[in-house]
Amino acid sequence: MALILLPLVFSLIAWLLPSAQTRLFGLIGTTINLFASLISVYGFDAQDQLFIDLGLRYVHFSLDSLSYTMIILTNAVFFMVYLSNFKQEITSKKRFSALAFLMQFGLIGVFSTNSILGFYIFWELTLLPIFLILYWFGSFEKPKALLQFFLYTLLGSLAMLLSVIGLLQLTNQQTYEALLAADLNAHGATSIWLMGGFLLAFAVKIPLFPFHTWQAETYTKAPTAGTMLLSAIMLKMALFGLLKWVLPIFDGVATEFWRWPIITLGLIGVVYGALIAIKQQDLKTIFAYASLSHLGLIAAALMLQNEITNQIAIVQIVNHSIVSIGLFLAAGIIESRLQTRDITQLGGIAKVAPRFAFWFAAITFVSLSVPFTAGFIGEFFLIKAIFNAHTLSGIIAATTLIFGAVYMLRAYQIPMFGPTKNSVFEDLSWSEILVFALLIIAAIYLGLSPKCLTDFVATSINQPTL
Amino acid sequence: MDSIVILFITGLLGLFVGMRRQAVLSLSISILGLIFAGIAAYFRGTYISPLASYSGYIPTPSNVIILLCVVSILAVLGGFQRYKQDEEHTGDYLSLLLFSLCGAIILAQPNDMMLFFIGLEILSIPIYVLVGIEKGSATSAEAAVKYFFTGSFASAIILFGIALLYGATGSFQIIEIQSNLAIGIWQSPMAMLGSLFLLAGFVFKIGAVPFHFWGPDVYQGASNAVLMYMSTIVKIAGIYAVLNVFGQIFRDSYFFWIDLIALIIVLSMFYGYITAWKQTSFKRLLAYSSIANAGLMLFALSDILNSNILLFVAAYSFATIPLVVINQLANPTQDAIANWEGIAWKNPLVGVALVIALFSLAGIPPLAGFFGKFSLLLAAVPHLPYAAILALVASVVGVFVYLRLLILALKKPTVQTKQSLSIEQSAVLLLTTLGSLSALYFI
Repeated sequence: MALILLPLVFSLIAWLLPSAQTRLFGLIGTTINLFASLISVYGFDAQDQLFIDLGLRYVHFSLDSLSYTMIILTNAVFFMVYLSNFKQEITSKKRFSALAFLMQFGLIGVFSTNSILGFYIFWELTLLPIFLILYWFGSFEKPKALLQFFLYTLLGSLAMLLSVIGLLQLTNQQTYEALLAADLNAHGATSIWLMGGFLLAFAVKIPLFPFHTWQAETYTKAPTAGTMLLSAIMLKMALFGLLKWVLPIFDGVATEFWRWPIITLGLIGVVYGALIAIKQQDLKTIFAYASLSHLGLIAAALMLQNEITNQIAIVQIVNHSIVSIGLFLAAGIIESRLQTRDITQLGGIAKVAPRFAFWFAAITFVSLSVPFTAGFIGEFFLIKAIFNAHTLSGIIAATTLIFGAVYMLRAYQIPMFGPTKNSVFEDLSWSEILVFALLIIAAIYLGLSPKCLTDFVATSINQPTL
Repeated sequence: MDSIVILFITGLLGLFVGMRRQAVLSLSISILGLIFAGIAAYFRGTYISPLASYSGYIPTPSNVIILLCVVSILAVLGGFQRYKQDEEHTGDYLSLLLFSLCGAIILAQPNDMMLFFIGLEILSIPIYVLVGIEKGSATSAEAAVKYFFTGSFASAIILFGIALLYGATGSFQIIEIQSNLAIGIWQSPMAMLGSLFLLAGFVFKIGAVPFHFWGPDVYQGASNAVLMYMSTIVKIAGIYAVLNVFGQIFRDSYFFWIDLIALIIVLSMFYGYITAWKQTSFKRLLAYSSIANAGLMLFALSDILNSNILLFVAAYSFATIPLVVINQLANPTQDAIANWEGIAWKNPLVGVALVIALFSLAGIPPLAGFFGKFSLLLAAVPHLPYAAILALVASVVGVFVYLRLLILALKKPTVQTKQSLSIEQSAVLLLTTLGSLSALYFI
């Protein structure tokens, strides 16, 4: 219970605290959250399920190992965001801290709630803070790009609301366990439509191919901290929703119907995102399209509904969070020191900032999924699963490895080793090195022993019905 | 019944106290009266009331009376700054407001069509006067006259409907009308025509399409203080009257009018939100948003037993009143949305209240507005699935109307000025914000 409510309390405190202490408070608060979740998981048996009742009618909570994984990921991401932006102006703002903690509360709610309406409520709750963060701290000259982001998300959310209402009416149940027990296959076409509503909301968030147009624009205009939050954890809500809620509940007619359309869209995203990323000049745009490419693969693999694949997908979800924090941090570092992210304007940074060159290279390799990093395990097994299901799709999915190498190495090589254009570059500070080091350690640890994670989540994925 | 008597006596008392020309005194009397009326409604039935034998005539549920009283308290407090400007009339304004509230309580659920009509008139006539309190302003006079004429017209239509219904069933008693209609009379042309006339009159009163034309002009002409009252109380009382009449009397002809209602809902929502999009005057924007919300409220008709209209109207009132209070700060003399620029930065309380109120109106969870909409739609989906889908699409447009206002209000000004709030305004903003936030605990 403390785990869920702490961020909300911190949000209020951050709002009331004088501005001078905000920066420190943010870091301490996220650290406390992270340790609270780690301590809580220490006494938790992976086979267990923990029910928490706050006395609300529509919102119940239950924690299983999958929820725990996502909550720890959330708390770790927020900690990293604070640590990596510790020297930036944004963390000294009261508004940012209050909103970030509120968002953390919403995310933890999404990952721990047990009722379908609660899922929707927390899902939407995260939208409010990110909208205000983007609006106040982003560099949107005109609100148009921001409104586009909001419009897309909102349309998806309303489709989801309709499906939630439909589901409540159809089954007269609202908790996860009861919905699993309810047989939706009997409703035939209706269940296909209901699942479509959820999928639309998820497709906008993940984002899948035709719904991705908000992404690059929003990522580039958002402050670095906002981009990190969006890409490292907010998008994971959709994958989590797919994995925990939609696929098990609609298992049957509806998933059969939607499987190949979604896999196709995911694979189009894999190739399309990679191809666009190759031609981009802006570092953040490259990373945004890279994200489109990577997440398309995860979404496609999840649709296969294979237990082992699902476990590996969790590894890949965690890996993507690691990679996106690292990459956007690197982009943010370049931007804050040189006021540009255009790779044609950059070059020769490695000579003046060797430490940055090293850590950026390390995170680039993690993102390239070289063996012994989590990405290798993730991508290899996901591609293999798709290959087994459909050979041609597997071959298409495998191109992500080649294309990924092209755009990532280009994004690394030109700024770092290109002809010298930037002779002054302040090297990394301790907090930035700490972030990079933690990320790399986590990636390598997961790469060497993914079993610790897959075994932990295995029970909640294998036996969703208690 | 006790609440009505308390309010009426307080109103009379207020008229005499008003002669002393002490605004705060008048205010305290009215607030006390409203609080006591609410308390009387809360404890109704647990004590022996001398008026118990009359209570059968007006069986308005306690929670509706309490909601009406609470919203009136907020409206009185929020508008007090304006009322106290005319020192010699403060008492009169507040008394008119209380009298009108008596009408609202009667209107919400009478058991007799005559009482119903009387309630309607008691509610409306003081508001005609209140709309015209800006005596120097031409738009205010225009609004008052326009409201008076259209309102009387609507009353006449309702009266005609009641007469037709009397002709068909031979009674004014709602229960008797219902039982007479139930045996098949509802299929008679006279009863059907009567139901259509009543529906037209109601649509007029709550301001839904196609009888919405008075709304924007009247809202624009009314002062902010009156707007707080009329945009909330009239809607609450009106929707309860519709629910009472159509849920009780015409429940056997459900399939005759429900498609018409669905059409009204969809048209109101799309028309209201799309037209609100390009408004430059805040009051007009509010008027169009209220047209859309009136449409949404009608969803309650599709399933009267299961829909939680109380939550919806409470959420709507708790979001509208702070916005009008903020408009009062942003636009003391004019009425332009452009003046909202950066208003959230001038006072922290204003900023928070504004964000919460707009998101609540837009229906973003976990605020009260979301649960209001959700409960209505949840009950309506099995009966009016297509209207519900279209309503959700329309509310996307609605979100952008509110978001546009929000973006304007949150724009950081180059020169930061402070805006001070009076005690009663702060109280209103604080209470409404807490109300919108705490909805999760009340459902």
